[in-house]
Amino acid sequence: MSELKDCPLQFHDFKSVDHLKVCPRYTAVLARSEDDGIGIEELDTLQLELETLLSSASRRLRVLEAETQILTDWQDKKGDRRFMKMGRDHELGAPPKHGKPKKQKLEGKAGHGPGPGPGRPKSKNLQPKIQEYEFTDDPIDVPRIPKNDAPNRFWASVEPYCADITNEEIPPLGKHYSQRWAQEDLLEEQKDGARAAAVADKKKGLMGPLTELDTKDVDALLKKSEAQHEQPEDGCPFGALTQRLLQALVEENIISPMEDSPIPDMSGKESVADGASTSPRNQNKPFSVPHTKSLESRIKEELIAQGLLESEDRPAEDSEDEVLAELRKRQAELKALSAHNRTKKHDLLRLAKEEVSRQELRQRVRMADNEVMDAFRKIMAARQKKRTPTKKEKDQAWKTLKERESILKLLDG
Amino acid sequence: MYHGPRVGRFPHRRTAHRAPSADQTNAVSPYYRTKLRGLYTTAKADAEAECNILRKALDKIAEIKSLLEERRIAAKIAGLYNDSEPPRKTMRRGVLMTLLQQSAMTLPLWIGKPGDKPPPLCGAIPASGDYVAKPGDKVAARVKAVDGDEQWILAEVVSYSHATNKYEVDDIDEEGKERHTLSRRRIIPLPQWKANPETDPEALFQKEQLVLALYPQTTCFYRALIHTPPQRPQDDYSVLFEDTSYADGYSPPLNVAQRYVVACKEPKKK
Repeated sequence: MSELKDCPLQFHDFKSVDHLKVCPRYTAVLARSEDDGIGIEELDTLQLELETLLSSASRRLRVLEAETQILTDWQDKKGDRRFMKMGRDHELGAPPKHGKPKKQKLEGKAGHGPGPGPGRPKSKNLQPKIQEYEFTDDPIDVPRIPKNDAPNRFWASVEPYCADITNEEIPPLGKHYSQRWAQEDLLEEQKDGARAAAVADKKKGLMGPLTELDTKDVDALLKKSEAQHEQPEDGCPFGALTQRLLQALVEENIISPMEDSPIPDMSGKESVADGASTSPRNQNKPFSVPHTKSLESRIKEELIAQGLLESEDRPAEDSEDEVLAELRKRQAELKALSAHNRTKKHDLLRLAKEEVSRQELRQRVRMADNEVMDAFRKIMAARQKKRTPTKKEKDQAWKTLKERESILKLLDG
Repeated sequence: MYHGPRVGRFPHRRTAHRAPSADQTNAVSPYYRTKLRGLYTTAKADAEAECNILRKALDKIAEIKSLLEERRIAAKIAGLYNDSEPPRKTMRRGVLMTLLQQSAMTLPLWIGKPGDKPPPLCGAIPASGDYVAKPGDKVAARVKAVDGDEQWILAEVVSYSHATNKYEVDDIDEEGKERHTLSRRRIIPLPQWKANPETDPEALFQKEQLVLALYPQTTCFYRALIHTPPQRPQDDYSVLFEDTSYADGYSPPLNVAQRYVVACKEPKKK
């Protein structure tokens, strides 16, 4: 409950106009019956008296309105500081310094006051003007400034590109898909062979070594074949003619009998050479290349002599050549492209590794920064307490600074 | 004929109002506040009703007066055409003065409703720019006397010619004098309402303001300075006339009714 002195109401005493004293004619007229009229000469006095009555009634009305307004607002907004000012006499020309120009309410008193001051009526005047009541704490919300979202969105979109890279994101270069596929194909053939062998009811023992073959050996085999760059990828040491001849002569058999004869050896190798069959045996010594080469040339000569093979001096047909030429062209392109890709990937990998190391350095710099800041704060605190920072603190500060500098140097270098 | 407001009711109401205020210690409790509010609302309604009735009564009186005025003007016009009897040529001074005084006294008082602003020609509020004085209105007119002197006299408007923008006015004194035809600039309409010092103090001339005021017992306006404005509706201005016969150049304070005080537009003394 507010204190009495806080109450802004004035509790005016409404003096009634004494009709007898102030308005004698009026009273007299009222006292007459309706039949007695009012004389024209009485009009003037009546007018004056009525005016007096009206003015006092208006005054009363205004005061009442002011009081009710205060009451209403007081009940609505209790405890508002403004009300301390309300109800007190104020100069009309002294509005409080609020955002909106607020018009003051003047509370008049029932009695007469001194004459109006120069230019501005003093508040002691009777009958103030009732003025509009405006709340300065405007409940209207300041319209929310639409947040400028664009930079946030921009940085969010760029984020994935600028963020630090982690090691997981660097994929291993991995094998070229052709190799992988070749590898996978070999494995598959192995499995097929194994199954077929089992079906054909051969000696399981023979299959033993075959089934033991695993990816490693396949890899080794493939690598071997690669190393011999003069040969086609599936790595047959023997010349093409040799292969074809033998292929024709020897029945293709995925399961080659493990005999210690050169032909089975060869056939074993041949089956590998075919590429389709995958029954490579355990690692054998690779044939020396010259040997196969001479064999190849001898077979060629023999075939030509026999008339089975035409001289190879004959140039190939144009049409074939065109397609072939085109194919070769494309192949060359592909080779170049793949080489290019490979180099690029290597470069990227290198750059990524470098960046990772730099990131680490940067992280260290950040930590060094923090340490420097801590040291700084300690010194500032010491200074605030009006004592000089201890040697220890100074040393620490210097140390952290030097650390940071060294890291930065590393980074820049 | 007239039924005034029920006077008997009011004292009762007001004592009811007084009850809470007398016992101020409890007055601020919410219960009493609400009660007070209710009482105030009723009192407000009563006051409004009272005001309305009073206004109606005053309007009636104004009506009657205007009818009388019309009759008078009609009689005057008729009298002019009728040369048989001379119009009241020389009114006795005293009679004239009494008339003037009465006219000043019965000038209606402007009592505005809350929120009303005093209109033009209320007290010191000047007329609007395009205001044309009506026949019968009293004005201050600047006329040139025979010897070349210019004087502001109290006059009554006879007519206004839109074509020439000129007023025809009659000196209030001795209607036998010739009619003056003057341009608008030489005519200042006198206020048609009194300003109520209690409600509209800004409609009054303030102290030290330069005005044209009717010298008491004459029908001429002279320059004067406001000494004190009226305190009550029926009071007069107290003014100091410019008078070289006095040491400080000003007369002692003299009373002039609100009706006969208008703003002075003359830049310098004539």
